[in-house]
Amino acid sequence: MSINVTTNNQDKCTEALSGLYNVYDPEVGLNVVDLGLIYQLDFNDDEKQLDATMTLTTQFCPMGESITGDVTQSLTTTFPEWKINVNLTFDPPWDYSKISPAGKEFLGH
Amino acid sequence: MLALGGPGNLQQTTSYKVVLPFYVYAGISFIVGTIMLLLHTDVIQSHYFNPFTLAITHVMALGWGLMIIFGASHQLVPVLIEGKLDSNSLAYATFLFAGIGIPFIVAGFYGFNLGWMIQTGAVLVNIGVLCYLANILTSAFKSGKHDVHSWFVVTAALWLFATTFLGLLLVLNFTKPLLPSDSVAYLTIHAHLGIVGWFLLLVIGVASRLIPMFLISKYTNNKSLWWIYVLINSSLISFLFFKLFNLDSYFYYISMIMALAAILLFTRHIKRAHKVRIRKNVDEQMKISLLSVLQMLLPFVVLIAVLFLLPTEKNNIILLYGFCIFFGWLTAIILGMTFKTLPFIIWNRTYHKKAHAGKTPAPKELFNPRIYNAMAIIYVVGFVIFIVGIVLINNVLLKTGAIALLITALLYVFNTTIALTHKPKKI
Repeated sequence: MSINVTTNNQDKCTEALSGLYNVYDPEVGLNVVDLGLIYQLDFNDDEKQLDATMTLTTQFCPMGESITGDVTQSLTTTFPEWKINVNLTFDPPWDYSKISPAGKEFLGH
Repeated sequence: MLALGGPGNLQQTTSYKVVLPFYVYAGISFIVGTIMLLLHTDVIQSHYFNPFTLAITHVMALGWGLMIIFGASHQLVPVLIEGKLDSNSLAYATFLFAGIGIPFIVAGFYGFNLGWMIQTGAVLVNIGVLCYLANILTSAFKSGKHDVHSWFVVTAALWLFATTFLGLLLVLNFTKPLLPSDSVAYLTIHAHLGIVGWFLLLVIGVASRLIPMFLISKYTNNKSLWWIYVLINSSLISFLFFKLFNLDSYFYYISMIMALAAILLFTRHIKRAHKVRIRKNVDEQMKISLLSVLQMLLPFVVLIAVLFLLPTEKNNIILLYGFCIFFGWLTAIILGMTFKTLPFIIWNRTYHKKAHAGKTPAPKELFNPRIYNAMAIIYVVGFVIFIVGIVLINNVLLKTGAIALLITALLYVFNTTIALTHKPKKI
């Protein structure tokens, strides 16, 4: 699992992730960070804008709208003064390698 | 300001208000079907064209199988065609017309009123099916993406209309001759249009996407799925040809081999998806769904026996074929998939946009797992006992099996009611 983060402020990254650890994929029962759905967090301190890039386990996920909505809500709650953009991508597609060690253990590996 | 963009498109889900009435209707039909089975176990010694067998078959095929698959497919069409359901109004109309028509058909057969009652039911069901067909065609057309799953859904909907339209002709033919032969001569065509063209094609089309998705498996093989699609359709078309031209029953083996090859390919597809799954812990609902894939093979074993015994017309073996389909494969996949899809629908209704506030109950926590496990065990036991009862023509075994299947239906409805009446928990 690796998330690309562009910021000079490590605290902001920690804050964002601590919120995202509470966003779960309801079917899998694992949070979106350990599941490896969050690809990138770009903090623009000057414009107070956060661009998050994420994916889903499958392009056809019927819970996709709910999960991306919850990621957006989580970041908005953490950074109420910031402009939040959540971008969904399937390039590269999500795969097993993106799951954290804790997530792999949770899934029975 | 919030924005959601990027190259990926989100699946748009269908409103729960459209889908849930179908689930409720199907659950009630399952109970009615198993009660009728319990009351009329003696039908296994009769010819399949008798009031009770026809009533039980239609309550299971239409009230249980068709209605729940209507509901699930309205929910899953966006996943399969990669677009959105075109019209909620047409979906409501489908429910209304089919929902009113089915009891007329079942009551018509049960009381052997082959006049106005069954004709009214057949007309209403056909209107409902036309609404469904129009909705599927426009949804698929507007999505602009026509991959193999989309073809499965659209073709199955067309075969469904062929089934119900022929059914209407057969019903009218009872009172006023419209067809060259009497209606009984076309029953096997009517049945296989529905079983192979609608149920088999649609279930494989849906399951080939859903089962890997729920297993979190990255396995895809569109070439194999196209082969399955071609084989199923060729099997059905060849069967219609052999039947309409009254060819020797040995020709039916050609159709049967093609259908069997399709199912074996599908079994291999699911086995491979299962092998490379990321989620190692397979839940109970998925186990029943995987069991149903194997249960698809059982009717073929019986069919070979039916073809082998054709000249002797062993009624109980012919009925065993129908039982293995409606109470076996079809019921098993519904029992498994209901508790994968229904909790999602309820979860989306209840917890949508609330998950960021902490861990919400998982969809699988919206029903009772102990009741589910009991239902699954009683179902398998009842199914096996009833099969043995049919083969041995033993009424005690038949009654015991039917009671177990009725208990299965009651537990199923009880558990779906728990999910349907779920109230949001404080997060």
